[in-house]
Amino acid sequence: MLKYLSWALFAIALIVLPQIFTSILSVSILNQMCIAIVFALSYNMLLGQGGMLSFGHAVYFGLGGFMAVHALLAIENEEMMFSVTLIPLVGGLFGLCAALFIGSFSTHKAGTVFAMISLGVGELIAASSLILVSFFGGEAGISADRTFGPPFFGFDFAQNIEVYYLAAAWLFLATVCMYLFTQTPAGRMANAVRDNPERAEFIGYSARRVRFISFIFSGFFAGIAGGLFALNYEILTEQNLNAVTSGNVLLMAYIGGLGFFIGPMVGAVVLTLINSVLSNYTDLWLLYLGLMFVLTVMFLPRGLTGFLMMHRTPWHLGKLHLLAKPYAITAVPSAIFVLALVAIIEMSHSNAPTFNFLGIALNPDSFISWGALLIIATLAFVALRKTLPSLRDAWDTANTIDTKPQERT
Amino acid sequence: MSILQLQGLSKQFGNTRIIRDVSLNIEAGEKHAIIGPNGAGKSTLFHLITGRYSVSSGSILFKGQPIQNRPPFEIARKGLARSFQVTNIFPLLSVFENIRCALLWSMGYKYSFWHLLGKAKALNTRTEELLIEIGLQERRKLPAGELAYAEQRALELGIAIASGAEMIMLDEPVAGMSHSEAKNAVELINRVTAGKTLVMVEHDMNIVFDMADKISVLVYGEIIASDVPSKIRGNAKVQEAYLGETVPEDEHA
Repeated sequence: MLKYLSWALFAIALIVLPQIFTSILSVSILNQMCIAIVFALSYNMLLGQGGMLSFGHAVYFGLGGFMAVHALLAIENEEMMFSVTLIPLVGGLFGLCAALFIGSFSTHKAGTVFAMISLGVGELIAASSLILVSFFGGEAGISADRTFGPPFFGFDFAQNIEVYYLAAAWLFLATVCMYLFTQTPAGRMANAVRDNPERAEFIGYSARRVRFISFIFSGFFAGIAGGLFALNYEILTEQNLNAVTSGNVLLMAYIGGLGFFIGPMVGAVVLTLINSVLSNYTDLWLLYLGLMFVLTVMFLPRGLTGFLMMHRTPWHLGKLHLLAKPYAITAVPSAIFVLALVAIIEMSHSNAPTFNFLGIALNPDSFISWGALLIIATLAFVALRKTLPSLRDAWDTANTIDTKPQERT
Repeated sequence: MSILQLQGLSKQFGNTRIIRDVSLNIEAGEKHAIIGPNGAGKSTLFHLITGRYSVSSGSILFKGQPIQNRPPFEIARKGLARSFQVTNIFPLLSVFENIRCALLWSMGYKYSFWHLLGKAKALNTRTEELLIEIGLQERRKLPAGELAYAEQRALELGIAIASGAEMIMLDEPVAGMSHSEAKNAVELINRVTAGKTLVMVEHDMNIVFDMADKISVLVYGEIIASDVPSKIRGNAKVQEAYLGETVPEDEHA
């Protein structure tokens, strides 16, 4: 019941969001989110579900995308006649073909071997994309126009919002399919092989075959994401299949949380926001993204979703409110510490004689500005450390079952 | 009829010969124990039979078909299941999922991505039955890695027997258990392997002589005796090579 409710909420959110955030910028961010979520979910079929750490997942995204652009060109040149709504499927099928070929040798082993092969294949494809100009278009990439196909119920997809609803529909469909895959024998055995490939072999399953199946599905859905990208941007370049894109999807899945189906979705949303919103405010957004990744790995190994899920026990015990006050108390020095740190980083980056941070004028050449920020940061850090024990106590209380509640009045 | 025949089986790692020319027949329905001092090659013999190690020379026939050097999953599909000396489960999956995964192949699901597990009634019912059989139905939702040691051993056994294999090989099933835990484990093993062929390696001699129809003694990679328990007890070679060192009183006598 809860399951159907969350799917319904997901569908409603997809429909309603562009009605709330109507600006051109926000619709374009929503489009990016749809693409990123499909891509991150497909990546988690490998890493989170199947235990395969890939450094080259952009290959399937990019190849699917390039093929989708070629399909758009074919429609444009009237070599083929079909609706552009099916373009993501073209991308998916090409991603699947690429995965069939590469997976046939890369899924032999998991672990380091798999990771190194994925890195090598990724570099290989990215390098050859600059050489094989007829398919990849060299450094300029290839571009097409999505509005040439036969209209779909009167829509020609000239508007971003039309593309959004198409992408949202594909996102919903792909998410349902990827979720259902986790509920099949092949999907469950992928988890088993991730946990213990040796034992899986002794209960009748070839670990290699199980990995291969996850791998080709993952390539298929990455290709769909690539096809959505092609529809949205109408251009693909080498950037879309190189190591940066591969690294980005790894960050999304990891920061969101590998162990949960919705983890990569959360990660994709958060990273798209950082990518598109934070980059408007600072040149250093990649630095903050890197810091965020390191902090996640160190302190939240189960990702943002894992952090939220930690609160299930207190919630079931009806003790979530006990955490509100300690969280608030810890949040104040944390926020001051982070802001002071950001001010220091931004000031060291600034070339201007005065530097405005949250309405406070700072002078990068003045000793006072530096000293004041360092003192604030240090004090905030000390204060933060002081609040941690009470937070820890509150956490323990909130996670303990009261043994004799009836004796308390 | 022999369900398992080892013929001149040898295994070398480099120049070290771990298993030397072992020939052994195990009859269907037999409870067969393999004993021997540490390092005699008992686990290696298990790994050879179940496909984890490749065979250097000789052959292994299971139900008359050669299975040497076949991958473990093919051997498992033929109906030869095993457990491990070091607990070897799926630690992040729930106890329920551990058993269900172990059932999948034997219930014909293969690599299906078109069946939904939640809708597979027969599969889920059988999983529940097995959980009750191994006494872990209360723990069904817990990740297997969080179980207590004896419970993990019970799960280990459950995974081995789930497929309904005709022949089950248990590698030190009660090692590291307390006396009462071991007693429960032996009862469980007797119950779930009734009517099947059982081959086990075990160090606890009371359990071995209690359970086994036949005992083979492996010393330095060679089978020095293979007989019914009463004859093994009286075998001079065995006493000298193996039992003698575990009963120090004999040396003073």
